[in-house]
Amino acid sequence: MASKDGPAKGALIIGGGISGIQAALDMADAQFQVYLVEKQPSIGGTMAKLDKTFPSMDCAI
Amino acid sequence: MMDVGRHPRIKLYTNSEVISVSGKAGNFKVKVLRKARFVDEIECTACGDCANVCPVVQPNEFDEGLCLRRAIYSPFSQAVPSAYIRSAEDCLGTNPIACGKCMEVCQKNCVDLDMPDIIEELEIGAIIVATGIDYYDPREASEYGYTRYQNVVNSIELERLLSPSGPSGGKLHRFTDQKPPKRVSFIQCVGSRCIRRDIPYCSRICCMNAVKSALLIREMYPDTEVDIFYIDMRAFGKGFEQFYQRACQDKKIHFIKGKPSRIEEDTKSGDLIILSENIDTSKSERLRTQMVILSEAVVPASKSKELSEVLKIKTDNRGFFLPQDRCGDPLSSNRDGIFLCGCATGPKDITDSIAEASGAAIRASQYLSDYKLPVVKEEIPEYDFSGAPRIGVFICHCGSNIAGVLDIDLLKIYATDLADVVYTEDLLFACAESTQRSIQDSIIQNKLNRVVIAACTPRTHEPIFRETLRKVGLNPYLLEMANIRDQCSWVHGEQPEMATHKAKDLIRMAVAKVRRLEPLEPKEMEIGHNVLVIGGGISGIETAIQLAKRDYHVYLIEKEADLGGWVSKLRILYPTGMSGKKLIDQKVKMIDPQKIEIFTQTSVKDIKGFVGNFEVILQTSNGKAVPDTVQVGAIVLATGFELYQPQQNEFGFQKFSNVITNMELEYLLESQKELSFKNKPVKQVSFIQCVGSRGKGGLPECSRYCCQAAIKQAIALQKMGLQVTIFNRDIRVYHHEAETMYRQARELGVTFIRYTVDELPVLLGKKEVEKIRFKESTLKMEIEVNTDLLVLSVGMRPSRQSIEEIQKFLKVPVGMDGFLLEKHPKFGPIETNIEGVYICGCIQGPKDISDSIGQANAVAAKVDALLARSTILMEPLTSVINQELCRGCGTCVDVCEYGAITLQDKDNAVIALVNEALCKGCGTCATFCPTNAIDIRHFRDEQIESMLKAFLLEG
Repeated sequence: MASKDGPAKGALIIGGGISGIQAALDMADAQFQVYLVEKQPSIGGTMAKLDKTFPSMDCAI
Repeated sequence: MMDVGRHPRIKLYTNSEVISVSGKAGNFKVKVLRKARFVDEIECTACGDCANVCPVVQPNEFDEGLCLRRAIYSPFSQAVPSAYIRSAEDCLGTNPIACGKCMEVCQKNCVDLDMPDIIEELEIGAIIVATGIDYYDPREASEYGYTRYQNVVNSIELERLLSPSGPSGGKLHRFTDQKPPKRVSFIQCVGSRCIRRDIPYCSRICCMNAVKSALLIREMYPDTEVDIFYIDMRAFGKGFEQFYQRACQDKKIHFIKGKPSRIEEDTKSGDLIILSENIDTSKSERLRTQMVILSEAVVPASKSKELSEVLKIKTDNRGFFLPQDRCGDPLSSNRDGIFLCGCATGPKDITDSIAEASGAAIRASQYLSDYKLPVVKEEIPEYDFSGAPRIGVFICHCGSNIAGVLDIDLLKIYATDLADVVYTEDLLFACAESTQRSIQDSIIQNKLNRVVIAACTPRTHEPIFRETLRKVGLNPYLLEMANIRDQCSWVHGEQPEMATHKAKDLIRMAVAKVRRLEPLEPKEMEIGHNVLVIGGGISGIETAIQLAKRDYHVYLIEKEADLGGWVSKLRILYPTGMSGKKLIDQKVKMIDPQKIEIFTQTSVKDIKGFVGNFEVILQTSNGKAVPDTVQVGAIVLATGFELYQPQQNEFGFQKFSNVITNMELEYLLESQKELSFKNKPVKQVSFIQCVGSRGKGGLPECSRYCCQAAIKQAIALQKMGLQVTIFNRDIRVYHHEAETMYRQARELGVTFIRYTVDELPVLLGKKEVEKIRFKESTLKMEIEVNTDLLVLSVGMRPSRQSIEEIQKFLKVPVGMDGFLLEKHPKFGPIETNIEGVYICGCIQGPKDISDSIGQANAVAAKVDALLARSTILMEPLTSVINQELCRGCGTCVDVCEYGAITLQDKDNAVIALVNEALCKGCGTCATFCPTNAIDIRHFRDEQIESMLKAFLLEG
């Protein structure tokens, strides 16, 4: 792992809802180590509870 | 969700909390408390045996307590991670009655009741706070009887009830009689926009959410009537107004302006009586309904205040995290290295949250530049998929989305009998993480070399299943999906037998095609690391700054002589009050000239090439030297919008001399402490909102910025001692602090008068507007307002010229509204259908400054994710030309939308050649080719024909 000073570092994302998920994926795709912390037993947040989303009525999961 | 679960560079800590943060930006030390799950997260296969024997019953939190779970449980079917969890509070434990049944039954010994909590320390460069929301408890609004009356539910409970995978299997039944309600009434703003409840802001999502649910209910129960009691209908996002209008056209959805004062229950029938005053008719009404949905306010996630103390960052008094600058820098907290996104700073819809999340990602990345992980070649096991087809068919229930209509057992038996099918299985949710693993196991155990997934749409889910195949070494293109949800159970829900019959057809066709599919390999291509940003307004500048911070070389081009666009012309920005010019100056100072080359009075002459390898020819009108061509890996389009130009005599424009637009007023405010117009002092100013927005002549949608801008201007005028009246259709102040601005305007004495398109305000006067006449709904009489100056709040519209220019080189589609069309309105708002080409700011649709800045950051993140590697993989689904058959007629060259085909000399003959990097696999060329020389990979003639034969001959 490339590093300048000391051990490798990652990004910490607090919250595993749609925002946290998106931020985590973008950073991981850009080749960074990501730690995603969620207080619930599963990620998904509020959006996972929605059946469909406006205005396109797409499935939320 | 699943992408997170299986991403090699994301480590997931669920059931966990951040307990301490020390150090500084770039060098934080973070302690995370991982509360014991009591089930081995890696080993658990989510078989459910443990829950089956658990004697404890508890309300299921995910379903809002509307159904039950065990003490050891999975929160919901598609949970990530899929591992079960044991609730220590609920569990009987091994004492005193020594239950421990879950431990006995688990074959893999995953359950460990003594599992300790663990504290892990992490080395962190930057932190993103994405804590989201909770919901206001409507019991506080006791007048609506939530929890006292059984048939009053809140919107999140309704969401679960309407969900086919929810507690009622998607059936909406009243709790008192278990029958579908004949009338459902929504009450908006329960808690929101209410100082008394300490929720001074608009919750931003509830209007559209209620409209969505109303449409769903009407679709499910055609006889049910729906009411929506509202204060203002805030349909301000892209496509929202049309969505709202769709509901308005439904004669059984009634929009009633006015907030009910109380609900009474008829205890005999369980019916509810809503007491309200209809603002449009000024009548007090008692409405009998069968079910009430409270659109409860959105509040900060619980424990936000505690977290803010751990992170040492500021929140507002309600608990939302406070950004540095709600207008110019909505993503930074007050502590260096900690960023905010989504609903952590205030309510937002999914689109806006996703944009901010990506934006926060690029900001956090800037602290981690030295810690980029090397690209590791993933180890994929060897898998032999040669030989005769061995097809596996997996049929998804999608909860009850599919299984509630189609006869899954019948489909399974049917599929088993199809030729070459050696394995069939039905799955509750094919997309759930645990199911993916079981599909992989089934592939290996049954030596499958072709897979059919009969489930939902390939549009969203094909990538997931391709990945599932790829991970076991099976070529991902040996997969075919049959969309038995959208095309069968959803559209033919009333005719289950016919729907099942159609699903059989689709499965048979998919099996026929999958048999003939060939393995394909994506090609790897080198990519460039420069970026072109077209447009030097706030969006373009912000994108360039953020990309430069990540070490990309940016060419920023602007048509005008100066950077700054519209923003530099604004005197006051809401809600901060800073001037537009100051904001632009601040941003321009952040431009690193080493990394950002600015070309003003410059435009694009031509763009050739494709993702990773665009070649752009620039032209300038100022005579300065610009490079002839620049090579870039990605292109960002940020050319903004135009303001609507009112037509002759539209609200007196160019007929009366004292009618101006809101932009012209902005210039007047610039120079004056007292307002005068054409050398006459102005004492009374009227605004008319929605000029060129929400239909007729201009944009079909809401222009989003104008209510807030008018209120901002009105406050400034009122403070100068003027009297201001704002004629509006709805006040759509959605920005987190804008509701407070609206309240302040009213307190200062600004008059707000509602008008409808059927009854427009009438302008009276000779050469100038002197009075405005309108019909007052409460008094039922015509009233006149004296006016010295009439301001038309004009909407945004697409800049046709710049969009047409762009379309000459890039085939980015244009939406119905004339703005550029994004890849997906919710999940891909800044991507386009051309890989490597992104859009941000008002080129995609109306936005205010903070929204545009959020999107600009998001675009930078997407570009970073694309260009972070030195190569990219190209989708292999392209056309192929059989050189033996090609006569070089050039028809394909003419019809190709993407310029992917050229004629070239080869061995003294002219033949067509496809540039696979440009080809989108649309198939147009193949249909036009007179000699049948062109085929599309994955959609070859024989593959399509096999499907047709299966449909027509074998049914």
